[in-house]
Amino acid sequence: MEKTQHIIEATQEIFSSMIMLEVSPGEPFVRRNEMLTGSISGLVGLAGTTKGMLAIHLTKPAALAVTGAFLGMEVNEIDEDVCDAIGELANMLAGSMKAAIDPKGSGVKLSMPSAIHGQEYAIDCLARAESVTVPFTFNGVSFMVELQIRQDS
Amino acid sequence: MGKTVLIVDDSNTMRKIVSRALRQAGLDFDQILEAGDGQEALASLADNSVDVVLSDINMPNMNGLEFLKAKSEDPAIMDIPVVMISTETGADIIDEAKSYGAKGAVKKPFTPDLINDTLGPLL
Repeated sequence: MEKTQHIIEATQEIFSSMIMLEVSPGEPFVRRNEMLTGSISGLVGLAGTTKGMLAIHLTKPAALAVTGAFLGMEVNEIDEDVCDAIGELANMLAGSMKAAIDPKGSGVKLSMPSAIHGQEYAIDCLARAESVTVPFTFNGVSFMVELQIRQDS
Repeated sequence: MGKTVLIVDDSNTMRKIVSRALRQAGLDFDQILEAGDGQEALASLADNSVDVVLSDINMPNMNGLEFLKAKSEDPAIMDIPVVMISTETGADIIDEAKSYGAKGAVKKPFTPDLINDTLGPLL
């Protein structure tokens, strides 16, 4: 998927410039609606000429580390601040993907970011969507960035 | 007399990050006000003497473009400069923001230097 490199570059740029964390990408893969466990996901929907979803899935330790770095304070539990920070991460990633997909900015609309978390949950795939998930690691913790899009002619 | 900036963003996290970036950029504001959407921003501008506004675009209740339009129609606040700070920086959206008086745009993610370069000339 040609968007894979953009996901990697956008994720590295956002983490290095906003959170001062260097993240390393792993091998991209297609996620098949597997259950996510002990995680939090930030989601932004895309609508218009390109439809789909941008999601970032973080393990709880990764989410706490990211939020702590974002806010400059220790964070111990998934709370409103963590959900807000992870939603904002998804928002920045989606904005970056939108800039690549729709440079003028009027053909694709982004939803407000949202966050979900829990012990075990699934996020359904968009039917007939092109999909790629890129895993990342930093400081011994991991997260994934997932893009599902369908371009309507 | 010190300067006052109003940060408009529905994300509490992002408001904190922008505040930190302003300090890191060396921009010396005496007062940093915050608003969670365009409606709150209009209320804050009515109640406070604000020198410059940094506003997100994609917000609930009243988004950044609706805020700009409403502000441009109120003679009491229409001249306060606004810089958009958003993930939404496509040419069409920025052109629309500028048509309502926005003085510039900063794309998220941003650096303190970029904030300084965009905001500094307006102060």
